Amino acid sequence: MKLRTLATAAALGLTIWSGLYAFQRGRGLRSFLDEEDNPAPFPADGNDKTEFVFSRLRYSSMRNGYFGRAGGSWATDYPKADRQFVQGVRRLTRLNVRSVEQVVDLETDDIYNYPWIYATEVGRWGLNDAQVKKLRDYLLRGGFMMFDDFHGTFEWDVFMASMSKVFPDRPVVELENKEQVFHALYDLDERFQVPGIQFLFTGRVAENDGYVGRWRGIHDDKGRLMVAITHNMDLGDAWEWADHPQYPERYASLAYRVGINFIVYSMTH
Amino acid sequence: MFELLFRYPLSAYAKGEWVFLARWPLWLLAAAILACAALLAWFWWRRQADAVSAVRGWRSAILWSLQAALVAALLLLLWQPALTLTSLKPQQNIVAVVVDDSRSMAIVENGKSRTETARAALEGGTLDALKAKFQTRIYRMSDVLDRVDDLKGLTMAGKSTHIGASLQQLAKESAGLPLGAVVLLSDGAENTGGLEVGALAELRSRRVPIHTIGIGKERPSLDVEIADVIAPSRALADSRISTQINLSSFGAVGRKVRLTVKDGGKALASKEVEIQGDARVQTENLTFNAGTAGARSFTISAEPLQGEENVLNNSVLRLVNVSGARPRVLYVEGEPRWEFKFIRRAVEDDKSIQLVTLLRTTQNKNYIQGVETTGDKELEQGFPATVDELFSYQAVVIGSVELNYFTTAQQELLKQFVDRRGGGLIMLAGRSALSEGGWPRSALAEMLPAALPDRKGTFHRDMLQVELTPAGVESPLCRLDEDSAKNAANWKKLPALMAWQELGPPKPGASVLAEIAGKRSPFVVVQNYGRGRTAIVAGDTWRWQMQQPVEDMTHEVFWRQMLRWAVSETPGRVISSTPRQVLVDDSRLKLSVDVRDRTFLPAADAKVEVRILGPSASGGIVELQADPVTPGQYAGEWTAEKPGQYVAEAVAKRGEEEAGRDVFTFERQDGIAENFHTQQNRELLEKLASTTGGKYWKADDLSKLPGEVSLSEAGITVRETKDLWNLPIVFLLLCLIKGSEWLLRRKWGVV
Repeated sequence: MKLRTLATAAALGLTIWSGLYAFQRGRGLRSFLDEEDNPAPFPADGNDKTEFVFSRLRYSSMRNGYFGRAGGSWATDYPKADRQFVQGVRRLTRLNVRSVEQVVDLETDDIYNYPWIYATEVGRWGLNDAQVKKLRDYLLRGGFMMFDDFHGTFEWDVFMASMSKVFPDRPVVELENKEQVFHALYDLDERFQVPGIQFLFTGRVAENDGYVGRWRGIHDDKGRLMVAITHNMDLGDAWEWADHPQYPERYASLAYRVGINFIVYSMTH
Repeated sequence: MFELLFRYPLSAYAKGEWVFLARWPLWLLAAAILACAALLAWFWWRRQADAVSAVRGWRSAILWSLQAALVAALLLLLWQPALTLTSLKPQQNIVAVVVDDSRSMAIVENGKSRTETARAALEGGTLDALKAKFQTRIYRMSDVLDRVDDLKGLTMAGKSTHIGASLQQLAKESAGLPLGAVVLLSDGAENTGGLEVGALAELRSRRVPIHTIGIGKERPSLDVEIADVIAPSRALADSRISTQINLSSFGAVGRKVRLTVKDGGKALASKEVEIQGDARVQTENLTFNAGTAGARSFTISAEPLQGEENVLNNSVLRLVNVSGARPRVLYVEGEPRWEFKFIRRAVEDDKSIQLVTLLRTTQNKNYIQGVETTGDKELEQGFPATVDELFSYQAVVIGSVELNYFTTAQQELLKQFVDRRGGGLIMLAGRSALSEGGWPRSALAEMLPAALPDRKGTFHRDMLQVELTPAGVESPLCRLDEDSAKNAANWKKLPALMAWQELGPPKPGASVLAEIAGKRSPFVVVQNYGRGRTAIVAGDTWRWQMQQPVEDMTHEVFWRQMLRWAVSETPGRVISSTPRQVLVDDSRLKLSVDVRDRTFLPAADAKVEVRILGPSASGGIVELQADPVTPGQYAGEWTAEKPGQYVAEAVAKRGEEEAGRDVFTFERQDGIAENFHTQQNRELLEKLASTTGGKYWKADDLSKLPGEVSLSEAGITVRETKDLWNLPIVFLLLCLIKGSEWLLRRKWGVV
């Protein structure tokens, strides 16, 4: 009897402690502690209400199952890449940015409160019909998405399997230098392929058969860019490892500038 | 009854002069009355001791006062009171009988036209009685006055009624003649909007009384009339026009009437209203789309009711000059914000507005959008610092920008932009806007439509709903649907704002159109300031776009209307206007032009011409004269000879330089005026009679008119003296005093 009481008390205590811990980490924010790929400290101002929030799409991943635990591809580099990148945005622009990211999904209407969304490793994603419809609505209403960190032909095809359902009649085009998105803040005519952290170990810029960095996008009827795609590149890693002494500064710098331009463009067009 | 007791009519007492015919002085009368009263008092006082108890104290005072009154009355009669009257000398004066001969006199009431009623009233003995005493001249009156031989000359064809002008003409034509009085038979349906004081000046100076005889029903049994429609004379293409429709009605309380606005045969807007009260003006609002650029004619009509007596007063025409110009709005934003993006998107497709934006993305970069010419230097140096630069815009929107971003000179320029240039200014909410940006203590705060709290912490990122105020329900600014009920319902369904900012109370004269629900803080508040207008939109509206279906246009409509409101009244350097764009049975056009210099100060040295082109190649050029009192104002008149539509272009020049030009339209419509205000305007006829010393008469009771007409000081007159001592009322009064004393004595037992 005593043992049972003790066990119950211990379980209760653990539950309360977990709750409090989670609350401390992000009051009012959804927490995905068990899915973090690269944990990062939760800043003191992480709960501030701000104009801009770096939003990351949580999608169903083909390899790890629907919302796969511990390593679902949506969470790649999460949350360190996000938090490190927004520090740069805060420092370099007048934008009022929250220090902590927001994880959003295509299951609720909450996504419409975040008109800028980042999605990574979309070479593994898979959307059902309801999610396809929601993503289409989101983009046509004025939302903006950045797709990053997928490489080669196979992952492109997987990405397009869902994206072509979102916009069956809109082509994915190569973005030219004259696109405003490359001039919204920085003039980015000189762009190059940005590799992930694997560059440090393999010395290769490309992954899979993605030998050339592709800057692609989808426009709306008025010629405004609503989807920006950095295929065969890993800007997320560049943000995440910008503080790594061996990761080349030129890649990190370009990744920051491209990311900031995408944000400024999405808030002006 | 009055004449039975007083022998002469009341008007004789009103017009006559009171005199005493006895030669004794008036002070003697007063002294005699006082002496007699004192004597009687002494007599009563002496009798107090031996009098019977019944007439002691207050009873003796009453008896004394009755006796004193009787003695006073008798003494008054001894002084021979009389009335001296001035009256027309028989057969030596002219009496003008003026009969309304306009089309409204053809209206049939109780089986007879109004003209027949007037004719019957005169032919029932009144005209003969007048002819027996005076030389009688008969005139017919409409927009002009004509003399006719007899009542058969009435045609009921006059296209309008100008009572004032007709009486002026009568005074002029009878200048050397002994005109003793005017008898005017009319329904009082004056089409010039009322009588001008000057029109009666000459007749009044000659003391000619005007006796008015009211013809026609004072109220129809069933009628709905569009009494007036107030609409702007100019609008931007594809913008929303708000009209105020004044409906007057008789016998239609509780009935439903459908109001419609049509452009040609195409209905633009319509709504059903319920008539609220009888014989009073009811105001309704109707908004509709202005359509494409050009001179547009809109017909505003009320659908006739079953059994309505007059259906010709159910519609009116209004002209609106729909401009194809593309006014420029400068939006300056202090930081990248979603509100900025979505406002830009909302007006991107609006062909009637050019939105130029200046966004401070970093400390070192301004991002400029909406400048049409590539390679243009516009805004490269930031916010405009010169009059030429800033005044090239029609409106300015200021987002999350702190006051200190603007130099002192720029702040002054911004104030002049609204006050002098007449531009629109919209302030938005934001973390550096309004109170957060140090605006409360600036000189610009006085321009804003609401007070700003002088503290920080007023900007909140909370999702709150907004709700329309009663003023907002009818405002075209907040119209999301033409139908009022649907509009109010649409506002209730709107997604919550993303953020909002506290404001202080609205300024006097400002209109709060929407509020933050539950906070009593204005969300949309507007006001006019100087020649321009200012507004605050105290919340981030972009969720209205992101949280609603793609096809929903709420967010776009709201912002397009806000920006159009900000620019639509912003004047150019030359602005022409006329008090009436539709000349209803009238040909006189009054023109007014306002001319400004490059800095929008009044230009008093301009040469202003108005070139007019009308139907059948009619038209002309009018050179306007400078107003000596108001600098920059020029005025003139022109006569539109033919009915139809006219286009006028005002051109102002200062030396060789053209200051600007402005186009407006007007239309002359004939055969319309007499369809409106057809009930007898008794108020006007009574006023006309009373101000000239005449009297208002009903058409069925004119037996005493000839006698009253005689009492006039105009023309050739005689003075008569009428004794008053022998009036029946005098003997009745004396008997009453003595009889009262006798009755009281009898009651108190002392007879």
